[in-house]
Amino acid sequence: MVPNILMGNLTLLSPSVLDDYVTTVELPRLKNEGLSHNATLFRYGACLGSVIRVYPSLERAMDRAREHIRLREESQKSVANGTLILASTLTLSKGRFSRSWHAPPGGLWGCLIFADTLLPQFRNFLPLIPGIACCEALRQNGASDASIRWVNDVLVEGKKLAGFLIEGYCSPVHKEQYHLLGFGINLNNDRFPPELENSAISLAQVLGTEVDMMSFALSFFAKLRYYTGQLFYEEERWLARGGLREYTCEHPVLKRWKALSDTPGQRVIFGYDVMENPQYEAVVSGVSNDCGLVLLHADGTESVEHSGEIRYCS
Amino acid sequence: MSDEIDFDEILGKYHSDPYEYVDIYASHTGVIKFLVEEGSSIDAVSGEWKHIPGTALFEITRENNPKKVTALTNGVVSSICNELEGCFVEAGEKLLTIRHPLKKKEIIESILKEVLHIFPAPERAKYFFSLDVQSRIDKKGAREVSVKPGDEIIIMSLMKRDTPVYYSGEKGVIHSVYFKPGVSVDQGAPLIGICPTEKLPLIKKIITKVKADWDQQE
Repeated sequence: MVPNILMGNLTLLSPSVLDDYVTTVELPRLKNEGLSHNATLFRYGACLGSVIRVYPSLERAMDRAREHIRLREESQKSVANGTLILASTLTLSKGRFSRSWHAPPGGLWGCLIFADTLLPQFRNFLPLIPGIACCEALRQNGASDASIRWVNDVLVEGKKLAGFLIEGYCSPVHKEQYHLLGFGINLNNDRFPPELENSAISLAQVLGTEVDMMSFALSFFAKLRYYTGQLFYEEERWLARGGLREYTCEHPVLKRWKALSDTPGQRVIFGYDVMENPQYEAVVSGVSNDCGLVLLHADGTESVEHSGEIRYCS
Repeated sequence: MSDEIDFDEILGKYHSDPYEYVDIYASHTGVIKFLVEEGSSIDAVSGEWKHIPGTALFEITRENNPKKVTALTNGVVSSICNELEGCFVEAGEKLLTIRHPLKKKEIIESILKEVLHIFPAPERAKYFFSLDVQSRIDKKGAREVSVKPGDEIIIMSLMKRDTPVYYSGEKGVIHSVYFKPGVSVDQGAPLIGICPTEKLPLIKKIITKVKADWDQQE
């Protein structure tokens, strides 16, 4: 059954609702676009959203995810891969380098628990996926000029609408490795603290009208499921071909990322922590097959960065 | 780490042959075309952000995709596997050796790497100390910060994915830090050198001895 898309209440979100949405909305849409293997890719990514917990308020979704893993392990239960933790508001949320992240009611805030089962050759593609899923969901929901800034910031009108970060976590009892994918998407929250006013934007501000959060959440999570499936599927195909030492061809996930990103060709400021310590200015000449940012310097030389951040030069 | 160190033997080794021999291997399979010969002088990668490539050493071609491999360290080509010219090689095959002249600081570091417990980088990535360890370093200095197996000491950052790295090895203090925040570290390269507290005087003795001996020679 397709949920009532006018219902903006995320507490109605459940694994079965997400399954229904994939079957009745996403699959037909992809079929219309002429894409193949869709059902297969959704099957490979089916773990995503297999458990969904929605809270009215949390301090940090990442902390709740760690606690969830610990409690499950201590009670001799397994942690469902792909568990989603959502909260209407986060009171102590933060971005990278302990930067503050404003997460009042109206946004889509949460964390995905993802067991680290990917081979090292494929881990670099994981951070691209939330950016792709969010950018596609935004375009589908009216923000037609949404684009991705390397690695996975999603910008509209030059302002940040969504941000993602991935933190590794080693479980305390079984020492299992997890990726905790934190996400923050500004949907109906249209007021930002003074320090973010010029750099942040919400979907409601872009559209000039309130957004159906349930509809957006389903669209975003379905696409996360699809591209996660593509990651697993491509890894399996690569292993079936003999699994050479390196994965050197252009990954379908990277190809899709390139189609949605406006980073190539931009003059940027690069820094490991670009806000606190901008390091240099260069032009992005491309993105390597292992997701590195290829930067062209003023003297004509190139360097490749796999870690760090950029800001576009205005 | 042994308590007994034969200074004369160690220093004698570096006096008689003050070079490091850096072997260069094929990074992946492909056909090799050498761009240097035995005796060629080699420039290292340079520039403020290490963005100016060093001397091009060889070209490796796979699937019509030629890739020039450049030097990271300076020196002279001391040996080269000329028999591999034009041949298809496997990943990891040794291609040439660069004789890199060591500076005093490099010699000290080289000796220390032999006597400290070296904790290597698990992946090519950028690294920084965990918040707790960094705040202790800021307060007291790295050599006052002790670590033990299982401690979350470093965060590995790659493609906006931050992964805690847990220390494994001997308990001790952080004697040497080989990485800089924001600079990529190759897989297997040393991140930190750990020294058991009781061995610190021995390490100090090594440094003092090498410095004094080298200054005398110079």
